[in-house]
Amino acid sequence: MVADRVSDEPGTATSSPAAPTPSEQDVLVVTDVERRFGDLKAVDGVSLSIRPGETFGLLGPNGAGKTTTITMIAGLLAPDRGTIEVAGERMHPSAVAVKRHIGLVPQDLALYPDLKGRENLRYFARLQGLRGADLKHRVDEVLEVVGLADRAKDPVKEYSGGMKRRLNIAVGLLHRPSLLILDEPTVGVDPQSRNAILESVEALAGEGMAVLYTTHYMEEAERLCDRIAIIDTGRIQAAGTRSELIRLLGSSDQVRLSGTGDLRAASSAVAQVRGVERADVTDSEVLVTAADAPAALAAIVTAASTHLELADVEITRPDLEQVFLHLTGKALRD
Amino acid sequence: MGAVWTIVTKDLQQRLRDKSVLIFSIAVPLALMTVLNLVIPTSADDVELEPVTMAASIDADDELADVVVSSLAGLSVFQVTVADSEDPRASVDAGDADLGLIIPPGLTEDLRSGTEHSVQMVIGDGAGLSANILIAVTDGLLSEMRSRSVSAAAAIEAGLAPDVAAQLAQEEVDAAGAITAEEGEASDQQLTAGGALIAGQAGLFLMFTVGFGVLSMVAERESGTLARLRSMPIRPGSIVLAKALGAFVLGVLATAVLLTAGSLMFGVAFGNVGAVGVLVLCAVAAATSLTFIVVRLARTAEQANIVQTILALVLGMSGGAFFPIAASGALGAVLDVNPIAAFTRGLGITAGGGGLSDLTAPVLTLLAFAAICLLVSRAIPDRGETR
Repeated sequence: MVADRVSDEPGTATSSPAAPTPSEQDVLVVTDVERRFGDLKAVDGVSLSIRPGETFGLLGPNGAGKTTTITMIAGLLAPDRGTIEVAGERMHPSAVAVKRHIGLVPQDLALYPDLKGRENLRYFARLQGLRGADLKHRVDEVLEVVGLADRAKDPVKEYSGGMKRRLNIAVGLLHRPSLLILDEPTVGVDPQSRNAILESVEALAGEGMAVLYTTHYMEEAERLCDRIAIIDTGRIQAAGTRSELIRLLGSSDQVRLSGTGDLRAASSAVAQVRGVERADVTDSEVLVTAADAPAALAAIVTAASTHLELADVEITRPDLEQVFLHLTGKALRD
Repeated sequence: MGAVWTIVTKDLQQRLRDKSVLIFSIAVPLALMTVLNLVIPTSADDVELEPVTMAASIDADDELADVVVSSLAGLSVFQVTVADSEDPRASVDAGDADLGLIIPPGLTEDLRSGTEHSVQMVIGDGAGLSANILIAVTDGLLSEMRSRSVSAAAAIEAGLAPDVAAQLAQEEVDAAGAITAEEGEASDQQLTAGGALIAGQAGLFLMFTVGFGVLSMVAERESGTLARLRSMPIRPGSIVLAKALGAFVLGVLATAVLLTAGSLMFGVAFGNVGAVGVLVLCAVAAATSLTFIVVRLARTAEQANIVQTILALVLGMSGGAFFPIAASGALGAVLDVNPIAAFTRGLGITAGGGGLSDLTAPVLTLLAFAAICLLVSRAIPDRGETR
């Protein structure tokens, strides 16, 4: 399957590739949603769907429309156009029952610093309708999931940034939601906590929970997400699996060979190697394009060495950053 | 209602834990009351009445004129020294006397005949409260004398023998003497200075106390917890209701503590507990409703704090929290709808012995204030709306 790129033509957004064929099993179905703030169209015809157990990434720079999209999905904001269904029920700010299906983990640390970790969880669990033994059991359970059981009696204001992030996620898990919405959950955390958070998300998806994950960290999207939608200026630019998106680039791996000798002759020799698509000479190096550079690397180096005294060999593989650059003309972190 | 109580309980737990309510709603106002009580005289015992020197010019043969002067000289509230003077005005101008009394000859005859008789009193520039009291007493004496004399004259005019008329006049005097004047309190009286201070401060700090509800709402919006609450399966109105209820509970508790502690500390009685309770509930409702406007206006907790403080101080000062404010016309009407002023007026009524039935005006003022604030808050766009 090849990732689809959304047409720029008006009216085609409803056939967004992020939701190729919504099915009855989909936990989330977003159809042609639009939201304006004055003259600014923050979200423009976004459609997507997520299946149970699937982690779906919304990848885009700050201001791309990720948070506005999930704000509508979480029922905090009404779309100006389009529909959002969670577990088959229409989501809207005034809706109540449908919100039992979602667990929102906002980008802000939505916690009460003066309360203890366990008190925070008990409070939110009660608001989710949990009571008695079930409440206690779930609080204990999520504390274990996020690794905070031993700090549950401490006030949240004494937690590290990473611990607060983990507790922030724990709140979203209390009521076993069908859809977990994580809005940039690793912003500002140390690598160790980030890894713990990513492992938790992987485990939850493994248990069948649908996860909507927004991030502007390409490596997180690549690691976690089964499917990724690249969003910019409020529109989904492309969506699919990682490899499907990379194929949109229409380019393969690149190998840069630099050294002294006959660059042109080296280029011609390398071009004959199996798997090499092309070899070009630049000012001081040979630029080789190959479908799978690591597999062909030994042969490429051997061929080049007959004409060059190699000083450096560098492999560059396309990633989502390049896909984003290719689709939007700007870097992901701009 | 489960979600509402859960939120209210958590908010109260937070407030008690960070001690902000105890400090700003109870400790600070009690301390301020104590300081103001020391600085501002709050009881009649603190007012010193200075002795008065009165220069009097009367006809020595005028029986009633002599009675007037003797009565004034015999006042026990403060010392009155009477000095005979041919020209009391000159004595006052020269600073020899605080007050001048000029009773032209013929007072007795004129009173008996019902003829108008002019008595002049001249007050000096430096005369104090005592001189003014003396003028009022003189006026009262002359009125009483005139009343009795006119009765006697009327009796003679009606054909009664002079001795019978004299007897009637004497009976009237005796009857007047039988009337015992005791210190009483009207149901619409003003509070004592001490009572007004407690009521005003309680009203002022009530504005701050219910402000904790506002700050809580705006702080939740800032921290992101409001968004999380709104993503949960609870009715959208439950959050606002819970915040208002929390503010209401805090306001009632803090005001009850302030009134009780204040009345014990400064010896002020506010009267019927039930009536005072109703008044407190209405005042807290009015103050809480004002916070709905603040929530709409403020984008941040800092803005909410500033707006709430400005409103509290403006309403507190214009409502007489620090000193009595009086105005007439349009300004007076504006001051009348001030919830703190209405609250203080209501406590004046209960302190004077008034009950629930006497509280109609202040209660209606407070409830109308609450209703108008709620309507206005609905009309104001929410500047802190979640995006």
